[in-house]
Amino acid sequence: MSENNQEFKPKGTMAILLIFVLTLILLWGSVFLILLSRGMTVGV
Amino acid sequence: MSTNTYELSAAEKKFVGWHVFFAVAALSVGALFGPLQALEHSGLDLYPYLKPVFKSYYQGLTLHGVLNALVWTTFFITGFLTLAVSKGLERPMKYPKLNAVGFWTMVVGLVTAAIPLLLDEASVLYTFYPPMKANWAFYLGLTLVVVGSWIEGYGMYYTFAAWRKENPGVRSPLAALGSVITMVMWQIATLGVAVEILTMLLPWSLGLIEGTDPQLARTYFWFTGHPLVYFWLLPAYLSWYSFLPKQVGGKLFSDSLARFAFWLFLLLSVPLGFHHQYVDPGVPAGWKFLHAILTYSVFLPSMMTAFTVVATLEKAGRARGGKGLFGWLRTLPWNNPSVTAQLLGGILFFFGGIGGLANASYNVNLVLHNTAWVPGHFHLTVASAVTMSFMGITYWLVPYVTGKKLISDKAAHWANWLWFTGMVIFSNAMHVVGLLGAPRRTPLGLAPYIPEEWSGHLLRVGIGGTIMFFGIYTYIILLARTAWSKKAEAADVEIPLAQAEQDPQNTPEWLDKWVPWLVGTVVLLIVAYGPQLIDQISNISLNAPGGRVW
Amino acid sequence: MTSKSSMHIDPYERNWIIISIVLLVSFAVAISVAGFAFGIQVPSPEQRVDPRTVADSGPWADPGLRELSPGKYEAYILAQTWSFLPREMTVPIGAEVTFYITSKDVQHGFKLQETNLNVQVVPGQVSKLTVTFDRPGDYDYICTEYCGSGHAAMFGTLHVEP
Ligand code: HEM
Ligand SMILES: [Cu+2]
Repeated sequence: MSENNQEFKPKGTMAILLIFVLTLILLWGSVFLILLSRGMTVGV
Repeated sequence: MSTNTYELSAAEKKFVGWHVFFAVAALSVGALFGPLQALEHSGLDLYPYLKPVFKSYYQGLTLHGVLNALVWTTFFITGFLTLAVSKGLERPMKYPKLNAVGFWTMVVGLVTAAIPLLLDEASVLYTFYPPMKANWAFYLGLTLVVVGSWIEGYGMYYTFAAWRKENPGVRSPLAALGSVITMVMWQIATLGVAVEILTMLLPWSLGLIEGTDPQLARTYFWFTGHPLVYFWLLPAYLSWYSFLPKQVGGKLFSDSLARFAFWLFLLLSVPLGFHHQYVDPGVPAGWKFLHAILTYSVFLPSMMTAFTVVATLEKAGRARGGKGLFGWLRTLPWNNPSVTAQLLGGILFFFGGIGGLANASYNVNLVLHNTAWVPGHFHLTVASAVTMSFMGITYWLVPYVTGKKLISDKAAHWANWLWFTGMVIFSNAMHVVGLLGAPRRTPLGLAPYIPEEWSGHLLRVGIGGTIMFFGIYTYIILLARTAWSKKAEAADVEIPLAQAEQDPQNTPEWLDKWVPWLVGTVVLLIVAYGPQLIDQISNISLNAPGGRVW
Repeated sequence: MTSKSSMHIDPYERNWIIISIVLLVSFAVAISVAGFAFGIQVPSPEQRVDPRTVADSGPWADPGLRELSPGKYEAYILAQTWSFLPREMTVPIGAEVTFYITSKDVQHGFKLQETNLNVQVVPGQVSKLTVTFDRPGDYDYICTEYCGSGHAAMFGTLHVEP
């Protein structure tokens, strides 16, 4: 039974997921900036 | 690793088939309202023409939410997991009668709830927040659906335990383990809504108590409401882990991590419901923040799933001749509609995940809460990743249980691609218009405060929604015609159960032990929910009588 | 790693998990800074009221603005099917307004457009947040929770005068 993936390096997977992370940072970041631009809501 | 050649008996196939039948029947009604809502947003209000049957946008929206999000999902999931447990364990249900009792309890519940829904006596949306008061039969019906799903779960636990006794020392097969973990998580999660209905809503709607405590009811509801989304999602993950690899001609990349992910979902799915209550007045900000952090932590098993699934696909695609960084994507079997549906659902889910992380981000929720962004988000999750995976599963499951070949692969491809295309347009528009401030659960055509700048986006909501409608109806008609066709070719379908690269017997033992994970789950629940539950329950005041407001 | 029963995490996958953790920790820091340093906060319990009588006596019997000191206001807002009381309010630019919102019947929502004030309005509870207005203009407050037949038309306007 092949117990490892030594001969196979998931480089394409890593590339896709890095693109995903960049998109995530961009989109999440833009919503976060909207939050900052809309000002304070002091609680308590 | 011996190969699993187990076949369900004719009776079991029929039993699973009935689940799918009710699921798709519910979807066929629930999905009718989607385009009506979407078109209403773009200025084409068709509700006046429906008036003789459906009284309002809100009655339609209640049916849309209940039938799609609660019925289509729950019926499909219990059926699919029954199959996955049997196939995974290579044995029939230990007490098939118990499962049958569970299933027919769900059906009775569905009918009980459907009556007031169709009569406009329960137009309270699928979250039924008190003190908006539905007819008691609605609450009773929902309770029966949940209890029925518990009973089906017990049937699976007994079967699993029996297998365990017959196979000491053998690692649990992933397909069965994942299914049973999902049902256990569901059992714990639904305690919230069970307490809400049995101690508050049912006695109140029957006139036994005068009022409700709406804040406590929200806390109970979201105790169930968040893990509900994992109840939808985990069966889709199970398909990606345990079936899809076989369908693309490969093997699961990491069996251990798949198991680990399921255990993490058991541990972390429930104790984070306050992230749906960030802007509730009656929950302290500190507890909300704690649940925000816990919600971030449940993002991890999904990130792990993303890696494992994509790596599985990459390896399979390379074995099929794909070259370069992305060439393997093209060599995947896109001609198999079952694979395509799941891949497209997975692509949309990347964006669903991003939106979900924004929702979960504590104060960021102030920007999004109850805006059109939210339905934009969950149509990418429950209505895409989950629904498209379920569509993909039915493309092999329906032939398997009926013995009839899908009458047209081409129609299945049309269904997939129409849904995908419509969804890209629809969900993008919903997200954007939500960020601009458009509320959800609102027939915007009747709202007096709509600025001009929303109209282009609202138009895209209608266009995308209409395309989605053609997609989902192509799917429904395809299944119905397959199931009822006389001359469909006899199908010789196998259940595409995948193997893993790693021999399951070599997965770590701590990933096959229930007690530590269950204890951990209960402890974490007590820490994350205990103090607030005690506080809110001991300060209960049932002083909101509410009533019917539609 | 021992030969039998091990996790077998691929090195790429291990890196991916590390990246994910770093990402989540960074986001957690960002929202904490926004929340606890910049004061963009979510509501906490303020007080309990009796929805059956809240409109009869006390501040919500006469909902509206009260000036506490120059530039500092309290706004008591009553949500009901299907309107907000008051429907209109006017404050000068720079005003710091603390909102106290409750409902006398079913749940509602209160979202003040263009600001971060967006709360659930729950009978028996008071949703409280404070907002400072630095830009003149008309800010609609809309109901964002389904509250019955007239829900779509439920809104009001806050005028901020230059
Ligand atoms: C036929 C395609 C569909 C279209 C065009 C569509 C469209 C919409 C729209 C426009 C809304 C927002 C209504 C509002 O907030 O006022 C909505 C809500 C919703 N949709 Fe869909 N939808 C479709 C299919 C589905 C499916 C397949 C599911 C689930 C599996 C689903 C689940 C939901 C849920 C849970 C809600 C929220 C209901 C509520 O707020 O109470 N939809 N849909
Ligand atoms: Cu309202």
